[in-house]
Amino acid sequence: MSDVAAVPMASSRGRVAPFVALAAAAVLGGLFWLLAGSNNVSTETASSFLIGKPAPAVVTTELDGGTFDLSRRKGSWVVLNFFNSTCVPCKAEHADLVAFAEQQATFAGGAELYTVINDDSDSAVRAWFDERGGDWPIIKDDNGSIAVAFGVAKVPETWVIDPSGVVQARYAGPTTAEALGTLLQQLRLSQGE
Amino acid sequence: MRDAGSFSSAARRRQINRSLKRWPGWLALLFVVVALLVVGYVRDAGPRSTQQRVEDISQRLACPVCDGESVFESSNASSTAIRTEIRRQVTAGTATDDQIIVFIEDRFDGNLLLVPKATGIDALVWALPVAALVCAVVGLGVAFRRWKLASDTVPDDADREIVAAELLRAVEDE
Repeated sequence: MSDVAAVPMASSRGRVAPFVALAAAAVLGGLFWLLAGSNNVSTETASSFLIGKPAPAVVTTELDGGTFDLSRRKGSWVVLNFFNSTCVPCKAEHADLVAFAEQQATFAGGAELYTVINDDSDSAVRAWFDERGGDWPIIKDDNGSIAVAFGVAKVPETWVIDPSGVVQARYAGPTTAEALGTLLQQLRLSQGE
Repeated sequence: MRDAGSFSSAARRRQINRSLKRWPGWLALLFVVVALLVVGYVRDAGPRSTQQRVEDISQRLACPVCDGESVFESSNASSTAIRTEIRRQVTAGTATDDQIIVFIEDRFDGNLLLVPKATGIDALVWALPVAALVCAVVGLGVAFRRWKLASDTVPDDADREIVAAELLRAVEDE
């Protein structure tokens, strides 16, 4: 009797199983498509407590030995890019930073780009720039105080500071030369430059 | 005579027991609990060392990049940098623990508090469990009182006489 009853049940399972497998495959395929197609580049600025406020005081040394004092950069647009040579998104972003620096160097009053080393060795950073290019100043943050002052927990992050020393924008995650250039152009216009 | 004496002593114990279960006993207990809580809250544990303050503050903040760890526990570079900043501010001696926490929390988008604040909407986290406890205790008190009033098991004088007689008979039988 039980064998007789089991036959239709098994048959019913056999009919449903392909649909369940198909649904699971569709979900997995969708997830794969989302992951493969995702673009983590930040073209939108992120919020921060510091936006609209004076930038934190930053006095540190450059990788090449000079002193960097953010307060002495007033009068110029400053872009700080927090980076680490082991960070994969930083690799994706670097070519854009090179393009951005070149673009800003083509006109008077172009923004000054600085890389802030985040938890990395000097030699690794030198090797990185030797390999990938980029001749803007690199500043050290040996005890992480600059990262804490800006609230940077993950790299890359990019901050834009206006000529009066006020923080204007933050990109959390890798950004692009186009996004940065457009933002700076808008900020310049909004400040009547 | 001895049996009657032990019976009246048992009755006295029951009477004392019953008295203790009434409101004065509960009020005394409530008073003791509140007094202990107040003493515990206002008690001055004495000055803390720089290290103790750094540890206290870092235990109240979550590591910004790792799950389930405080800044105190984490060895992540970000947590290490936050501990360094806390130490710098504690050593400078210009900010209270709460001010240092607000400084860090503001910069890291306000998601680092492991211990909720006691102000604003966060205060609900502290107030709701207490309110729930008070409601539960009051509810239980009301329920017990209703059950007690509704029950028919409250002995009257006739019941007590029956019980006393039965007890005496049992003792005599022995």
